[in-house]
Amino acid sequence: MTSVTVSNKEITSKQLGIMLLALIGLGIAGGIAISNLMAEGHAAYNSSNLGLFWGFPIVIYDYFLLTSTGLAMIASMALIFGGEDFRPIVRRALWLALAGLIGGVAVLMMELGHPLRALWAIPFSFAFSSPLYWKVMAVSFYVISLLILQARMMKADWRMQDLRINAMITLALALGVTAIAGVVYGSQSFRPFWASGDIPVAFIFESLLGGLAFIIFFTYLAYAFNAAAVPDSVKRLFNDRLSGLLALAIFIHLLFVLARMSSGLYGNAEGLQVWQTLATSPLFFAEIFIGLLLPLVLLMYPGTRIRPWAQILASLLVMNALLISRYEYIIGGQLVPLFKGSWAPELLSYAPSPTEWLLLLVAIFLSNAVNAFGEVTLGLGREG
Amino acid sequence: MAKWGMVIDLDTCTGCQACTTACAMENNRLPSENWQDVLFYHEGTYPNVKLMWFPRPCMHCENPSCVSVCPTKATYKDPDGGFVLMDYNKCIGCKYCQVACPYGVRFYVDEKAVVQPDIRGVFPSEAGRQWDPPYKGPQDDPSRGIGIQPHGVVSKCTFCYHKVSKAPKGVADLDEDIPELKEYVPACVRVCAPKARFFGDLDQPNSNVNKMIADKRGVRLKDETGNKPQVYYLSGGATASVPSLRSMSDSDKG
Ligand code: SF4
Ligand code: SF4
Repeated sequence: MTSVTVSNKEITSKQLGIMLLALIGLGIAGGIAISNLMAEGHAAYNSSNLGLFWGFPIVIYDYFLLTSTGLAMIASMALIFGGEDFRPIVRRALWLALAGLIGGVAVLMMELGHPLRALWAIPFSFAFSSPLYWKVMAVSFYVISLLILQARMMKADWRMQDLRINAMITLALALGVTAIAGVVYGSQSFRPFWASGDIPVAFIFESLLGGLAFIIFFTYLAYAFNAAAVPDSVKRLFNDRLSGLLALAIFIHLLFVLARMSSGLYGNAEGLQVWQTLATSPLFFAEIFIGLLLPLVLLMYPGTRIRPWAQILASLLVMNALLISRYEYIIGGQLVPLFKGSWAPELLSYAPSPTEWLLLLVAIFLSNAVNAFGEVTLGLGREG
Repeated sequence: MAKWGMVIDLDTCTGCQACTTACAMENNRLPSENWQDVLFYHEGTYPNVKLMWFPRPCMHCENPSCVSVCPTKATYKDPDGGFVLMDYNKCIGCKYCQVACPYGVRFYVDEKAVVQPDIRGVFPSEAGRQWDPPYKGPQDDPSRGIGIQPHGVVSKCTFCYHKVSKAPKGVADLDEDIPELKEYVPACVRVCAPKARFFGDLDQPNSNVNKMIADKRGVRLKDETGNKPQVYYLSGGATASVPSLRSMSDSDKG
């Protein structure tokens, strides 16, 4: 492979372009979404009092939150165990974790009935019995730990061993946030589709998978998908370690999904019948075959695994598969109405409204803008 | 300290929905957001079809999952009376309580109206509330979820807290047939024409509700959730019964 030298200036100008595009996208998507919300209020969402209370915005929020924690887990584990090989991606992963989180939380705030009230009402409630209370508190400390870690790496000569304690705290918080997110759903014992002790663990593997896919994709994006411009140290890391880890994470996630599906199809518990609808849907097939198996093949096959296009494609497909996975889990758990009465049909139907799709774009554009801002101002590729 | 509870005799209930209507009047409910609903469904396939109905208020659980999940303590258990209430001033509208209530009895106020036309548009509020109907109850206590709701919060049945909490201390049962107590009886109980509903103190062994639960083997809905409802159902199986299923399988569609 030929290697070309790309100046920092060139990368910065490309990132400025990405930031500008993201900001324009954010302005358009956010503007329309906000005007829809001002005109229609909460009715702009397709959730309802029939039983589907948490719709697409919650899916988006949890998707971005869990990829954020996955990125933080990868960065902090790299700092604790990984050694210098991982140096080129650590700062980018940490910044990306923050950027993704900002996109996800922004969407959540637009869905909450009283977002500003939440800022004081949750921390001062001391509602220790609520998983959401723990989740919010853990996310707050998690953000602080991300910022501290990033700040300590601002010096060009930062040393991995100096950051171990910070990295351990970040890792613990990232694991905590992810596990608590799993408890929010997994503890709902009367919703068998959700309830399972393995959900927090499944969420941790999903997060890792998302983190790996994101760091590979966004590193290439940092070089405007010009593989020749990517430093050799990064290429080496991707070819030797990260593509293998991505393949392993896909495999583990696939096992969790298929195991849940098979017990869902066999089980008779009320609520599990959703699996019969879900497992035959085109979305599910797309998730399994295109989103997970195809990337797995690309990354396992020696001829393709070291190809930048294969790594980019695999990451992109995995990112989509995880969104579908999150959607199916959160929406699927609510499709059986708790009580079937005059108002509720057998299975509820739900599709995101145009405003809800716009919120996905809001999260994507906002996260990309913040990420590009970091690339431009913090020199995240400096270690490459 | 009282622990108020309700007994609903399904053998007597005719599914007339007077309770739903009375609750809607008393608490200014919106169509389809019935704090007290009667659910209608059918079981079996033709020709063995049975029309079923099931009255279902908030259960005011002893161990309410809606309370334990609330991240702001906006939903709380009133120690004096055992009501499960909402503080509209603390609710952030996260809907976790709706997701966590196994009985599906909570409503988010700003959802798209299930029943059209959307009456909120017909009587819009200028005071930041959900709507401004021509008749509204005089009670207003947002810290207990009483009165017309503000935007962005979840609502639920209060067991007519504004009536029951004013009852003379120590009464065992609130019965609409006792003239001096009838003002304190929850609206759904008071209007029940076939007298299928009873309301009393579950902490008083001699209360009529306790005796009925014992004599007619009262059951609680979805008791396996551990929520321990303070609403008990009596059922001899002649008419409506406590449904064992939340939804019907395909063969039951009819
Ligand atoms: S029925 Fe639902 S809303 Fe009512 S107290 Fe029980 S859990 Fe809470
Ligand atoms: S919607 Fe309101 S009452 Fe329900 S859990 Fe959230 S804050 Fe608590």
